[in-house]
Amino acid sequence: MEASIQAVRARAIEECSQVENLEELQQLRVKFLGKKGEVTQLLRGLGGIPAEQRPVVGQMVNNLKSELEQLYDEKQAQLERLIQQKRLQEETLDITLPGRMPRSGALHPLTLVLNEIKQIFIAMGYKVVEGPEIETDYYNFEALNIPKDHPARDMQDTFYITEDFLLRSQTSPVQIHVMERQEPPVRIIAPGKVYRADSDLTHSPMFHQVEGLLVDEGITFADLKGTLQAFAEAMFGPETRTRFRPSYFPFTEPSAEVDVSCIICRGRGCRVCSNTGWLEILGSGMVDPRVLAKVGYDVDKVSGFAFGMGIERIAMLKYGINDIRLFYINDHRFLNQFR
Amino acid sequence: MKVSYHWLQDYTSIPWGPEELADKLTMAGIEVESIERLGPELSHVYVGQIVEVEPHPSADLSVCRIDVGSQVLTVVCGAPNARAGIKVPVALPGAVLPNGMSIKEADLHGVISYGMACSEQELGLGDDHSGVMELPDDAQVGQDLAAALGLDDQVLDVSVYANRPDLMSMLGIAREVAVLSGTTLKYPSLEVPEDGPSAAELTSVTVEDTDKCPRYCARVISGVAMKASPLWMQQRLRAAGMRPINIVVDITNFVMLETGQPLHAFDYDQLTENRIVVRTPAAGEKKFVTLDGVERELTEDMLMICDAEKPVCIGGVMGGANSEVTDQTRTILLEAANFKAANIRRTARKLAISSEAAARFEKGIDPEATILAINRAAALLAELAGGKVAKGIIDVNHADAGRRVITLRPERVNQLLGTNIARNVMAEILSRLELEVDQSAEPWQVWIPSFRRDLELECDLIEEIARFWGYDQIPVTLPANKSGAGGATREMSLIDQLKVKLVGAGLNEILTYSFVSRQRLEQANLDHLPQLREMIALANPLTEDHSAMRTTLLPSLLECASYNVSRQQEDLALFEIGAVYLADKLPLQNRPAEERRLALLLTGGRTPRHWSVEAKAYDFYDLKGLVEYVLADFKLDYTWEKGSLPIFHPGRQGRVVADGQIIAVMGEVHPEVQKTYRLPERAYLAEVYLERLLRAEKPVPVFQPLPKYPAIDRDMAVLVDEEIPVGLLVEQLQQAGGSLLRAIDIFDVYQGKQIAQGKKSVAFSFVFQADRNLTDEEVNEQLNSMYQTLHKKFGAQLR
Repeated sequence: MEASIQAVRARAIEECSQVENLEELQQLRVKFLGKKGEVTQLLRGLGGIPAEQRPVVGQMVNNLKSELEQLYDEKQAQLERLIQQKRLQEETLDITLPGRMPRSGALHPLTLVLNEIKQIFIAMGYKVVEGPEIETDYYNFEALNIPKDHPARDMQDTFYITEDFLLRSQTSPVQIHVMERQEPPVRIIAPGKVYRADSDLTHSPMFHQVEGLLVDEGITFADLKGTLQAFAEAMFGPETRTRFRPSYFPFTEPSAEVDVSCIICRGRGCRVCSNTGWLEILGSGMVDPRVLAKVGYDVDKVSGFAFGMGIERIAMLKYGINDIRLFYINDHRFLNQFR
Repeated sequence: MKVSYHWLQDYTSIPWGPEELADKLTMAGIEVESIERLGPELSHVYVGQIVEVEPHPSADLSVCRIDVGSQVLTVVCGAPNARAGIKVPVALPGAVLPNGMSIKEADLHGVISYGMACSEQELGLGDDHSGVMELPDDAQVGQDLAAALGLDDQVLDVSVYANRPDLMSMLGIAREVAVLSGTTLKYPSLEVPEDGPSAAELTSVTVEDTDKCPRYCARVISGVAMKASPLWMQQRLRAAGMRPINIVVDITNFVMLETGQPLHAFDYDQLTENRIVVRTPAAGEKKFVTLDGVERELTEDMLMICDAEKPVCIGGVMGGANSEVTDQTRTILLEAANFKAANIRRTARKLAISSEAAARFEKGIDPEATILAINRAAALLAELAGGKVAKGIIDVNHADAGRRVITLRPERVNQLLGTNIARNVMAEILSRLELEVDQSAEPWQVWIPSFRRDLELECDLIEEIARFWGYDQIPVTLPANKSGAGGATREMSLIDQLKVKLVGAGLNEILTYSFVSRQRLEQANLDHLPQLREMIALANPLTEDHSAMRTTLLPSLLECASYNVSRQQEDLALFEIGAVYLADKLPLQNRPAEERRLALLLTGGRTPRHWSVEAKAYDFYDLKGLVEYVLADFKLDYTWEKGSLPIFHPGRQGRVVADGQIIAVMGEVHPEVQKTYRLPERAYLAEVYLERLLRAEKPVPVFQPLPKYPAIDRDMAVLVDEEIPVGLLVEQLQQAGGSLLRAIDIFDVYQGKQIAQGKKSVAFSFVFQADRNLTDEEVNEQLNSMYQTLHKKFGAQLR
């Protein structure tokens, strides 16, 4: 019995060393370890040996079974490794071929800039509101302290529809709508389309503005400076400086034009800033008490500031665009640059 | 306004150079747009005087002897106006003229010329090259020409705000410079040597329209010797961008530039009855020839300066040819008037005249300036033109002379500015601006001079203090936030999300003009729809292309596609979100509705060309999917219906309806429209009515427990008549599928060879699932009943 165990073992090991693929290995498993396999036969043969030897011989057969199982598992792992190696050797891709990118579109550059502006002011606690584009004379002019016969009202600048209706020439009328329906504190920005009869490289008959308004008790010109300095830093980078120059707007007093240090040359002087180092980007001022009084605010209790900026102008500076009309032509090759 | 640096020094000493002055002015709110040197760099060019002129012995030239101060030189010259006695610019050897010519001694047909007598053009001073430039008599022989003409002056181009007419004058600018620099302002001499009869004996002024002409002052000056004005005055005028003409006109212009008050000089002898009537045109007075020789159309609201019988000047805008000062003029009627700003602006606009006078009057100037200006001009006419000034000023004055007083709370200044400016500093700034400050009681009383009509309220005074205190000295603080968290409105946030979603789906956002041409509707086959045709029109459009407010976005997208495909950009996926403008009645009487719309356009290739992907063009179902993708953001029960818009292919369009309202329209662009817009490939276009969507709720996901039991998949293909919409089959299948049916997909729709004509094959795949293990039997039974339903309702056959 012992001899035949050794013989089976020797054959099983020998044949395993000849195996070249997984199918042959499987056949070998069946041949030796299967239901009718040779090791199984040996176990069945245990019945024919004396009872006192049975445990010892049985142990030997069982040892053989485990030994072979381990041998074949190792062989299998080895074969699988070979197969995998072969597959890895055969499979290569030309990684220089272009990938399949998901098709992605682009937001319009004016939307990109407006989104930035909105985020900055929202973070400073401003609500974003909108107002109508077709306005009345009252909201666009009268309520903003722009009396009849003011140069800004000339037919040259404003698109009229009727005597009383017009296309708003500024987002400032939104200030009036908001103050009429709300008591202070007011803290809003109002982006939107505005219209002026002017068309060249830097003027478009339709363009976009963002208006800002803050009215509360004790608001100062220093607050206006701080707010717009904070905006300029957030928009153009922390090293941006601002410069406030006296100016004139009918609905603010004192009024200020706001320059930022040139975002192209960082204030050293270049073609874009006409060598001044400064770019004019905002109009602003303390809300004229006549405007506050018109909406019924108590001018001895509250004060406020307002500011406005052109989105096209900022986008042109930011992206180096030299012709405002490009924004409205919507050339695909232009739009695709903002992906 | 052009401000000569040299000239400004006549009124105040300036401690800064031109560049620094420009900075100071800009930071005080007087924006200097540019600084330019008045004239070209000229060296070796001097003032010379022609001593004698002889013809050239052998050429058609003259030989001049010219005194250049240090010596008398021989200069050969071709100018027809060369004559003894005149003063001319002479370029000596070594000079390089602005046109590049270098001057050397030269042998000209046998005569040595030691220099060149130059024309205006050769010196880069003007266009005139008809002869040698003639310099004024008072030019000093031998003086450097650039110095003599003041060409080394720097001219600041200042932009003046609409509320500051006082800055349209040298004195006005000088006043601000004096405040900035802490120096004093020197007023010009106003002593008028009067002589002879009184002006009232010589003329009279009748003002019929005192609203349009609140003040009219006149003086009469006789015995005027017409000639050129002196060099210094010519320099000033040139620096301000005006051409010297003659002594009288130059003095009126000079005084206007100095004081801001326009003046007009009439030829007294050309005025019928030698008197002035200020009135609007009479019935027959329709046309008038201005001194530039142009015939103007008059309207009845224009204000005319007339003599006893006819208009002689368009008041405040431009004088008439019929009373112009000429070389023969000896007696002058000098006008210094004040006109109503609004009327001047309207008149100048209507006549398209932009004169220096109108530019000042239309801002509204100081009625007191008339006296200052008329006296200054009279004094100059006496001094420089030998004029005899008749006694007295005729002054028809209806102007409001009341001096304005404004109360100022000094503590309010610091409250509003956020500063800590001392009270004496405030008072000093105001006084230096020639405001009279009464500090004896609180609040202060501040008296405003008549030339500062822009100062009306306390805040105006605060601005003056801030301006001269320096905006850059005001601290930088942030206001406390008492308004709570910031944020956009719900609708704006939804739109922002929608944009991001569409960009993620591969679309480019476009922005087009809100105004369009009516013709666009026609081109898009939409012109017969009354709700689209009723467009709000602009009264003053820039062009016909941008003349009416759009009622639909669709043509704008087609136009954009058309532009792009003609530039080899043929694969387009575009969207725009914008308003349409809908009037309830035209002409507009109420605010129109401004409805936001989303428009989508697809045309050309669906995917970018790629080596591994078969090229495929966009089709109807790409667009339909996109519309559904948009609608999925909103809680809305909607159905698809067949559409009927003529912009679309009649068999390939649909609309989305919810609660009986149209939410969206879409379809394949009608071939005719496609052709009009020159689109090479089929295009798909949709318009979504966002307002209705934005009112709908946003769906909030409610979690469903994950299934515990496996699903069973089944497929089924049926043959039906081709005209039966698959949507109907799906509806029936859903009902018949009961609670076990969890999903239906359509994975194939086929018509063709293997199928009878008029039929189509539709293949469905179903997912069945329950909260228990399903058996094949019960699923088969369900499937069979679903088939039976289709069979009964639509005659469907299993395939």
